Amino acid sequence: MNLPTFILKNALRNRRRALLTVLSVGISCALLVTLLTLQRELTVPPESQAASLRIIARNKVSLAQPLPAKQLRVIERIPGVVAVSPFTYFGGNFRDETLTSFAQFAVDPVRFRGLLVEARVMEGSYEAFEKDRLSCMVGIETVGRYGLRIGDRMKFTGTFYPVDLDLKIAAVFGGTIDDRGVFFHHKLLDELSGDPGTVGTWYIRAASPEVANDVIARLNGAFANTAAEVRAETERAFQLGFVSMLGNVKMLVLLISGAVVFTLSLVTISTMSMAIRERFRELAVLKALGFQRRELFAFILAESFGLAALGALLGVGGAWALWTHLDLQKLTSGFLIYFEVTPRIMAWGAAVAALMGVVAALPPAWQTARMSVTEGLQTLD
Amino acid sequence: MVADPIVSIRDLSKVYRQGEIQVTALNQVSIDIQTGEFVVLMGPSGSGKSTLLHIIAGIDRASSGSVLVQGINVANLTESQLADWRNQNVGFVFQSFNLIPVLTAAENVELPLLLTALGRAERRRQVALALDLVGLADRGHHRPDQMSGGQQQRVAIARALVTDPTLIVADEPTGNLDAKSATDVLSILQALSRDSRKTVIMVTHDPKAAGYGTRSLHLEKGEIVA
Repeated sequence: MNLPTFILKNALRNRRRALLTVLSVGISCALLVTLLTLQRELTVPPESQAASLRIIARNKVSLAQPLPAKQLRVIERIPGVVAVSPFTYFGGNFRDETLTSFAQFAVDPVRFRGLLVEARVMEGSYEAFEKDRLSCMVGIETVGRYGLRIGDRMKFTGTFYPVDLDLKIAAVFGGTIDDRGVFFHHKLLDELSGDPGTVGTWYIRAASPEVANDVIARLNGAFANTAAEVRAETERAFQLGFVSMLGNVKMLVLLISGAVVFTLSLVTISTMSMAIRERFRELAVLKALGFQRRELFAFILAESFGLAALGALLGVGGAWALWTHLDLQKLTSGFLIYFEVTPRIMAWGAAVAALMGVVAALPPAWQTARMSVTEGLQTLD
Repeated sequence: MVADPIVSIRDLSKVYRQGEIQVTALNQVSIDIQTGEFVVLMGPSGSGKSTLLHIIAGIDRASSGSVLVQGINVANLTESQLADWRNQNVGFVFQSFNLIPVLTAAENVELPLLLTALGRAERRRQVALALDLVGLADRGHHRPDQMSGGQQQRVAIARALVTDPTLIVADEPTGNLDAKSATDVLSILQALSRDSRKTVIMVTHDPKAAGYGTRSLHLEKGEIVA
């Protein structure tokens, strides 16, 4: 026998309790990892290098307020702007869905080409999309999810706009951070809505990330004190603006995570205290045999840490395996897209569990250190 | 020429506080114990015999007086030094055996050796020797719950012996045993004192058990009366 064997035998002396402790820590850890992943999913929009070049200009009053189409001529002359397209959210429901999870945007296909830096046309051709006013370009994930093909029709019932769309799929794109959207001709929307003079937002590409801030400043300045002042911001800032509409999700998730961690600590502290309290007599015998306080502390710490680490391994590993292999996009109808359990999140989950293992060892270790041998020997079995 | 005593106690007092009341467990006790003696401490409950045993063994502290064991004043040692000293010099035998239930007999005996620098093979050899000495060479792989009370106490004696201590302290070692097992245990302790020159100090209520010792000390109200 050696000391690790002794610690292991002690940790497993009550197998049911050890198993339940490991499971409690594991489930709490998995919940914590899931919450942190959810928080990341909701608050950190996907980033790409191309996204740092893109700027979105919306009406300064509100996103719901349209902008005059005539601003196009001013925008395209701003130094540093290499491409600009109208970019209007349609917000329709596909087929008979009541809430469609992929967005549809009206764009100018010719101008829009210069904005899709990282996108690749997977099927069909961009030219076919450009030429046919009644056609659309669809993200490959949406195509796969609904089993669509080139030439199929996509019908949308308008919710923002009092019009419906009937589009023919001309091209399928992929390779972007979000391969779900549908793009169609702004001219079609103009005709159907009878309002050719407005756009929802402007989608702009700057020449380089370095000039993006200057372009934003120039855009804001160009329409200052006009009837339609704009608020230009990077694509990322624009997406974060959407997130803020969800309320303080970060705080909410942090509060729930805090509750999980608190419960986790109660479970482990209670279990360790129970496990040590019923062994006071044995610990007193070990002291009598010559074991030092620090050695007894190391036993308790190793036992507590070991159970917590095993729980963390199960919880973090389980959460990673579950969320990596489960098609959450399908299960949540596209609400959750990536739900990526990053190494950082896994490290957080494991670190919290390990810390709990250490914290849980402190009260019983302190009690044991203070206990005299004679007191311990008088403890009833 | 008389050899120096292995245990020399002078003016030893122990005072407890129980709330507002002061309880004198030991009052100015002075005794000498020679190497190889089997000293039996007797007396009624509360007479201070267990307290005296615990102070000699270094698991309790005296309020005043000195306790020299092999010339070392135990009262002057720090907690850490005392722990090392106990490991090297004292073997404990308790009334309720106090074996670790999740360990086998051999592993229980090996426990004090984990604190030494001995290698695994040497530890095993010593464990086998100690178990053989108490007649349990074939029960090393049994857990305490698979053994009788007498066998468990013999394992406890093997654990007390395995580090080859100079002093063996036994606190009512036969209190939980039947007559046959008690005789076995007392015979082993007697043999250790007689044949191996171990100094054994035993607390007991049982006059028959006292018959195995070389000397009996009677305590009453914290003082040695006979």
